[in-house]
Amino acid sequence: MLRVAAGDTAAFAALYDRHHRSVARFAHRFVQDAGKAEELTQDIFVKLFRHAGRYRATAKFKTFLFRVAANHCLNEVRRGEYRVTHVPEHGEEGQPVEVAASEAHAPDRAVEGRELEATVAAALERLSERERTAFALCRFEGMAYRDIAEVLSASESAVKSLIHRATLSVARAVEAWQSGARSPARSEA
Amino acid sequence: MSCTVEDELTAYLDGELSVVESARVRTHLANCSDCRATEALLRRTVTELAALPAFEPSVALRRRVLAEVEALPRPWAERMRAWLRPGVLAPAGVALATAAVVAVVAGQRVVSDRRTELAVAEHYELLSDYEVVGLSQDDLDVVEHLDELQKEGRP
Repeated sequence: MLRVAAGDTAAFAALYDRHHRSVARFAHRFVQDAGKAEELTQDIFVKLFRHAGRYRATAKFKTFLFRVAANHCLNEVRRGEYRVTHVPEHGEEGQPVEVAASEAHAPDRAVEGRELEATVAAALERLSERERTAFALCRFEGMAYRDIAEVLSASESAVKSLIHRATLSVARAVEAWQSGARSPARSEA
Repeated sequence: MSCTVEDELTAYLDGELSVVESARVRTHLANCSDCRATEALLRRTVTELAALPAFEPSVALRRRVLAEVEALPRPWAERMRAWLRPGVLAPAGVALATAAVVAVVAGQRVVSDRRTELAVAEHYELLSDYEVVGLSQDDLDVVEHLDELQKEGRP
């Protein structure tokens, strides 16, 4: 990162290769749209390069990176540059969801995966921005509460509440889908 | 749900509680069926979320990001380092040294000319006299034999 701060583009490329998937995944959870997620990811990495000099070696790099990413996503969404895309109800066509290759031979599981993805996305849309940020960092990036607190400039107890509320909200939504929409469809199949 | 412990359940699952807090939650779960059900729901959901397919950004994104970064103005430190590279610094040093030598020589010449001018000014009268009496060898011969020439009736 210190080399990046000195303008070393090769070091920056290595940094990008190592972390771009995490950032893109995080941005995608925010806007639920592949094109917009890539735009946000590009902006975040360019911002990271331009402000690399602000990084202090005492801080965890991943925390610094997601602080930049979270602030950018929150600001852009608040400015109205990006709106969280409406997630279609279960079974609607046209929602691009990536499916692992192994699932190609298990159509039922693939459909189920897409439906679960849509359910989670819809639940995330109903969360506050800070809940969504804390939830995404915890559940999809595996960050510790302490690091998330640093990213959000919040206390650990506040982060604990944010993550609990968000996880419970998503869990209730998944439970409702599992007990309602999925069961009849699965029994018909 | 009125249990205050419920707020701790997600942190309990995530391993974010202290040993003492975790023990307290475990004891509570043994006696509270509502919290057990919630804990089971949370645990199931967390497992399912971990299995969700991840968004994979395109390869083109890398090209776009690196192109935008390459197009940015270089930071001051990097520009300085570029100037200090041996390939740039050596020829620049030679050019600078050459310029310095030329300046010194030209300066000395100017000083030398100036000293001559000062010497001329200082001895102006003497030099003027020298110019007046500055005779050639023929003239000196004439002066030496002036009496003889006058006797011969030559002017």
